[in-house]
Amino acid sequence: MTETNSAVPPSQPKPGLSNFFIATPELGPLVLLVVMLVVFTAINPAFLSLNNISNALTFTVELGLMALAMTLLMTSGEFDLSVGSVFGFTPVVMWTLFNAWGVPLFPAFIVAIAVALFIGLASGLFVTRLGIPSFLVTLGMLLVVRGTALWLTSGFPQRTWDAGEQWLAEVLVGDFYIGGMRIYMSLIWFILAAAILHYLLTKTRFGNWIQATGGNPGAARNRGVPTKRVKVALFMLSSAMAGLAGIISSIRVSAANPNSGTSYELEVIAMVVIGGTVLTGGRGTIIGTVLGVLILRLMRNGIVLIGVPGLAYNIFIGAIILGMMALHAGLDRRHNEGV
Amino acid sequence: MTDSDTPLIEMRNIEKSYGPVHALRGVNLTIRKGEIVGLLGDNGAGKSTLIKVLSGAVPYTSGKIFVNGKELTLRSTNDAINSGIETIYQDSALVPQLSIARNLFLGRELRTGPRFMDRMDQTRMNSVAADLLRRVGISKNIPPTTPIGSLSGGERQAVAIARAMYFDSELIILDEPTNNLGVAETQGVLQFVREARDTGHSCIFIAHNIHHVFQVVDRMVVMLHGKIVADDLSPKTSSIMDVENVIMGKNQAA
Repeated sequence: MTETNSAVPPSQPKPGLSNFFIATPELGPLVLLVVMLVVFTAINPAFLSLNNISNALTFTVELGLMALAMTLLMTSGEFDLSVGSVFGFTPVVMWTLFNAWGVPLFPAFIVAIAVALFIGLASGLFVTRLGIPSFLVTLGMLLVVRGTALWLTSGFPQRTWDAGEQWLAEVLVGDFYIGGMRIYMSLIWFILAAAILHYLLTKTRFGNWIQATGGNPGAARNRGVPTKRVKVALFMLSSAMAGLAGIISSIRVSAANPNSGTSYELEVIAMVVIGGTVLTGGRGTIIGTVLGVLILRLMRNGIVLIGVPGLAYNIFIGAIILGMMALHAGLDRRHNEGV
Repeated sequence: MTDSDTPLIEMRNIEKSYGPVHALRGVNLTIRKGEIVGLLGDNGAGKSTLIKVLSGAVPYTSGKIFVNGKELTLRSTNDAINSGIETIYQDSALVPQLSIARNLFLGRELRTGPRFMDRMDQTRMNSVAADLLRRVGISKNIPPTTPIGSLSGGERQAVAIARAMYFDSELIILDEPTNNLGVAETQGVLQFVREARDTGHSCIFIAHNIHHVFQVVDRMVVMLHGKIVADDLSPKTSSIMDVENVIMGKNQAA
């Protein structure tokens, strides 16, 4: 259709609500979040209480750290199913070193994060050097890592620490109060990570490379963008963040369970896609992911408060994913027909 | 066009094998400054292999390449870009999700602030892009922040060619630039190629549509079975029929 009368007409993006929605992928999740807040609070005002919000945010942060890194990885066109396993395995490494080998906590922390980085490196090399789809590579990695965690611990949770305060634990999950609201340090880390990764994705050269790598790898390569190294770096980031999240979680609950984090990978990917990042790469948004993280968390929290059985949680999450994807697909179709 | 200076590109006795497949057999090709050379040949004749060698995308088995009289080893696409050779592939030139400005500077982003911050100078990138769009006549009122995905095929080619001109590439290789374009858009792109030549750039123009090639090139080179079988066909003295016969290997006279 455009071929015949394409003499000059430059396809100026048309104004209008649907285009605004497409240009701003965060808008859909933002509207959903506001609606949820209003509905839940109307049914049960306790939903907006400081205590409840503080509780809801604590656990959110751990999945949220993984979702932030996964956003960049998915923007580059790959994803990582092994984050849940790394979440369980990394603290097992750290506490085993600390308890059984007598390694001080900080060196044990460094070693554990290095192990997580290595897992990401391995996944990244399998994907980029051998050309195996990330679905298969990280599915294999999920099993290898989880299996190693179970085998190392014989399936038993590891104690965290015997006695005494550890400064590292304070830095990672210590808490303080702001006007009666209990804030965990992990929330600060989450906000910091979101700010840094948002800057990285939208303002830096590397961010431009991430988007180009996911959007059109051939074009990126032809312009000299090291697409393979970009992907490997993001696999390592994703893995390290999963390890950090696992360690934070282990300190908070005072146990490193080799089974913890099971099926987190799917919840993390759900958070990212609900926020508007595209599974096939090229377009991603950290702000959207933060919204996606809050939506999933507040949904879990809210439906319990308004009296829906917690077991029904997955029904709502599944419906949100389907609804959001339908919204984006519908907008894209309208957009493409319009041009 | 006849220039007795050092040629821009000289490929001497280039050989390339993919395992048992002998894709290039002793290719000699010279590109002079400021000329548009049409590269023709049937599917599998070796055109794309030759282009990939020249753009650094695949290594060659043996032979020598001179750029401005200096021998070069092209090991990567970056080597080629740095020696002034820019290749525009039809499907992999631009990233649809990124803006015009970000595509223009992809891999060569302008930076501002301290190095470790890795911050792009988006203001300057946008203003350079806007200026360039205006100069090459595709600006109308397309802002440089428009994503490539919402441009037409012809506009995308124009952006890709403008990018090569901006970075002062001495040789612009166009791989099927008029494929899938409408009549008016094709003319626009051909006009763009002429402008590139008039501002001192050399071009290698690859197209299956010989009519398009005839409209724009100074000279035609024909490949057959990995060899160059004719390298000085002129659109002024040869007919389309002659050239087609050479492409199909029917006769060598032209």
